[in-house]
Amino acid sequence: MAEDAYVISASMIPFGKYRSSSYVGLAVSPLIDALQRAGVQKSDVDAVYVGHSYGGMMTGQRITKEIGLGTVPTVNVDNACSSGATAVHEAATAIAQGLIDVAVVIGVEKLTQFGGGTLPLSPEDREVKQGIVMPAVYAMRATRYLYENDATVDDLALVSVKARRHGALNPFAQYRQEVTVEQVLAARPVADPLTLLMCCPTGDGAAVVVLASERARHRLGIGGAARVAASVLHSGQVQEGFRDMTKPEITYQSARDAYAQAGIEPHDLDMIEFHDAFSIAELVYYEAFGLTEKHSAVALLRDGRTTFGGDVVVNPSGGLLAKGHPVGASGVAQVAEAFWQLTGQAGARQIEDARWAATHVTGGGTAGLDHGACTIHIFEAA
Amino acid sequence: MSATPEAPVSVPIADLDSDDLLGSFAEGRRLVGTRCGNCGQTMIGSRVVCSSCVSRDVSRVPLPGTGVLYSFTRLHVGGDGVRAVGYVDLDDDVRTLADLREDATPLRPDAPVELVVDGDAWFFTPVTGA
Repeated sequence: MAEDAYVISASMIPFGKYRSSSYVGLAVSPLIDALQRAGVQKSDVDAVYVGHSYGGMMTGQRITKEIGLGTVPTVNVDNACSSGATAVHEAATAIAQGLIDVAVVIGVEKLTQFGGGTLPLSPEDREVKQGIVMPAVYAMRATRYLYENDATVDDLALVSVKARRHGALNPFAQYRQEVTVEQVLAARPVADPLTLLMCCPTGDGAAVVVLASERARHRLGIGGAARVAASVLHSGQVQEGFRDMTKPEITYQSARDAYAQAGIEPHDLDMIEFHDAFSIAELVYYEAFGLTEKHSAVALLRDGRTTFGGDVVVNPSGGLLAKGHPVGASGVAQVAEAFWQLTGQAGARQIEDARWAATHVTGGGTAGLDHGACTIHIFEAA
Repeated sequence: MSATPEAPVSVPIADLDSDDLLGSFAEGRRLVGTRCGNCGQTMIGSRVVCSSCVSRDVSRVPLPGTGVLYSFTRLHVGGDGVRAVGYVDLDDDVRTLADLREDATPLRPDAPVELVVDGDAWFFTPVTGA
């Protein structure tokens, strides 16, 4: 990056079901808190980036007007589950290019507006017309993965068990109760081999981070920060024929580019927040991120090398499976977790001496693509 | 005046008029595909442009009624009862999402499957004895 960008504060509400809150009601409190914790006045803010998928017209402006944060550009971003992370990417890129000094990034989503069920997808999509839903996509990935690898449904359950164990330590998580492999396997089937406890929950949430340039960081006299060492956004590439669903090219290529930007290797990472919308995803992404060779992801999981005390803590927040997944908010919440871990603010789930953190979120169910979007960030304690 | 040509008028594609995946051909009722006359790529559904070489020289073709099941799931949400769906790789390297029916032969990845048309409904089923 031309100039360094830093995350200088983060705030969020615990993910959950807030039927009495609008998009504005979800986001205003963390917005105020993030500005205060950064020591940033409204007049310091150069631009606002807002990630959401279902908020409707002018969601960002509806939020910021509540605190009189106007005049400056507000950009509303939709990239499905990658919306929030794409907003972070836009903010970091503008700072790196020297265009702005201070950016506010809001990720917000209210899924309880749909009254339950699977995530609404575009009715214009060919496979959506045929009745595809996101659990079916990941279930097919899981079926194939189990067919090709020395892995079982117990391993899929173990991902959920780990996520819940981490989530139990996180006051921001939607689910804070631990579960056993037996409970996960006995849960209601959603899309074989995935049970309900192998699927991320539906919920509402909002997360806000403030990004600043090197000079703004010094002018504002801010303490702990996380340097944006890599910010990568890729789009899916269509395949009309065969596609290996266990080797999603969009994440492989994004991870390769992120490591190159940051100048680090997979083994340098102390933590990763993965897009574990369904438990199979975590195993696939161990390989995509180069944590292990193909066909050996389950060994990493079974041996406890991706939990606290292991080589790299994967989803210390509990991930999407336990923390929750209000679509547009998730990418920003992942960055908040990375910031807290790198600045020693993660409480009971603090990773000792964490220096390098990665966040990864994909987006979208679109026929012919593995995913529509993939955003990866790497941060270094500063 | 320079010789710069007038800006061309782009026209919308009426893709909503032809989004049926099942069509009638000389070979019988088959899934509808599109073949590119320039690079030869075959695609599922009715298209007016090739997603590989961007040629508009494309034609409607019947897709093979046989292929291999890449993966599948039995879906328990979003409808009545349990619904089996999967990705079928047709014999000309076109992948399609499809409903599946299983009788005596259980579904498994890499199983040979064939198209069955029943009225306006279509689905794939494992090839008997395969």
